[in-house]
Amino acid sequence: MRDSRARRGAGQVVVTGSAAASGYGPGTAALASGVLSGRPAFRPVQRFDVATRRVGIAATMPGNPDLRTELTRATGEACDDAGLSAAARARTPLFLAVHGGPEAFAAAVARDLGLAEQGLRCYMSACVAASGAIGDAAAMIARSLADRVIVAGGYLVERDQFALFDAGRVLADDGQVRPFSAGRRGLLLGDGVGAVVIESAAAARARCAPPTARIAGWGRSGDAYHPCQPRPDGLGLARAITAALQRAGAAPGDLGYVNAHGSGTRVSDSAEASALRLALGDAARFVPVSSTKSLHGQALEASGVLELIVTLLALRKGMLPVNAGYLGPDSECGLRLVLGEPLAAPAQLAMSLNCAFGGSNTALIVGLP
Amino acid sequence: MVPDQATPRGPDVTPDVTALRAAAADAGLAVLSSASWPETSADTDVPALAAFIESSFSPLLAEVATRALRRRPDGAAAAAATAIVIVTAFGDTASAAHVAATVDAGRRVSPLLFFQSVPNAVAGHLAARWNLTGPVACVSGIRAGLGIAALFLADADADEALIVHVDLPAGGGLGAGAALLATQRTGTIPDPHEPPPGGSDEDPRY
Repeated sequence: MRDSRARRGAGQVVVTGSAAASGYGPGTAALASGVLSGRPAFRPVQRFDVATRRVGIAATMPGNPDLRTELTRATGEACDDAGLSAAARARTPLFLAVHGGPEAFAAAVARDLGLAEQGLRCYMSACVAASGAIGDAAAMIARSLADRVIVAGGYLVERDQFALFDAGRVLADDGQVRPFSAGRRGLLLGDGVGAVVIESAAAARARCAPPTARIAGWGRSGDAYHPCQPRPDGLGLARAITAALQRAGAAPGDLGYVNAHGSGTRVSDSAEASALRLALGDAARFVPVSSTKSLHGQALEASGVLELIVTLLALRKGMLPVNAGYLGPDSECGLRLVLGEPLAAPAQLAMSLNCAFGGSNTALIVGLP
Repeated sequence: MVPDQATPRGPDVTPDVTALRAAAADAGLAVLSSASWPETSADTDVPALAAFIESSFSPLLAEVATRALRRRPDGAAAAAATAIVIVTAFGDTASAAHVAATVDAGRRVSPLLFFQSVPNAVAGHLAARWNLTGPVACVSGIRAGLGIAALFLADADADEALIVHVDLPAGGGLGAGAALLATQRTGTIPDPHEPPPGGSDEDPRY
């Protein structure tokens, strides 16, 4: 393991605003009620022709929304939620997670919202793009390299990525995502747009903005295993989890919930379960786990921010979302899954995991303020 | 050891290892080794990379990264964890254009294109080949990439960071640069809100 003495974090990085849109519709309220309903948002794709595809299901909002419009709306709502003045916005950079996004796209979103020109970033690191951006933002704030960063991510189901995932035969042909379950058949894509305002506790205090959560810990690691397959023993992801716990100053048993990466694919879920058992030890037997991708789908570059927001909503409401689509136990995925209906639990600390092609892993630990 | 220097190239080539090295130095990072494409007149065809098709993006990235890794100074202790930071303004535009045209034409997309659809895939290839266990990131802009690398190093998420800058120019030759970075004893972490010393007006990404 890495030297923990150099790790900083714990306490001084807070979230003051958030906003989201998903297959449940616009807004964090729709996301919370949808996820806690336990009913997946998957439906037949009508946005483009899927007649020649193996699978024609995704968690989509109605119609054909425009990514820039949705990102601008969500990011603006997150700024409003955080009570950011125009002057504060003008000093705050945007880290935007989008697929193949040219910087001009991010710059246009930032310009429309009056955000800072300096410090703008586009993250394109696949399914850890947004979670990596959140980790970077937290690390910068913890080291006083920034007072505040807005991290946003967006993916709206569209025909090219859908065609690629269909060609890769990773989409669930039974129309359900069944993370960690026997009989799981793959993932399904979903619309996801999310934005969070992350800042130092001191900066939030100075403008009398109440934190809604704190980013307690973050960890990043690589598997060094394969271009697109996860390391089966979970060692890479386990290192990310351990780093996040060290930064949070937390023990595995302090975690009240894990929102797993849980893609619903055979190899990824078993590798992740191994990682959780490796990193959490005995606590892996009792910490509640679910993958909310079984409800809102896989939002690719936006996953990290969408799932962090879901995790924060679960903490605030004291209700943990179900791991939907479950058919029965898989001996390779022995975890304490939230099954059947949401679990009422007064969790104080929760972890959101994300993994991507290239063996890239992130772990974010969040807590109530 | 192959000489560690860049050959001047035409103005149509964006990624430039000289600029990358200079920006790394400005960011207070030590450059252990570096590489570029092209370096000599023999650099005409990018070596193929197994299972990566239709685009030079991943093969080019792998080639310059491998050159930089091979030039790591002899005798230096092996890094416990090396991060990979890919810098690209537009990503693999050739693959994306091919997929769009294939879908437009109603033809089936090759499954291989799914596996190379994001820049992380070639990072995973490099990580597996060289046992690079640090974090993997892909971001627009050299300055952002160096900032990420510097924080990985300062926060002990990695001991070294391999930064690779690749873009496929719309109307010119291929160019790419890579550098293996470590923390200087006297190094500082760049402040993202402050423009770098000199040259920032020419290219805000630097």
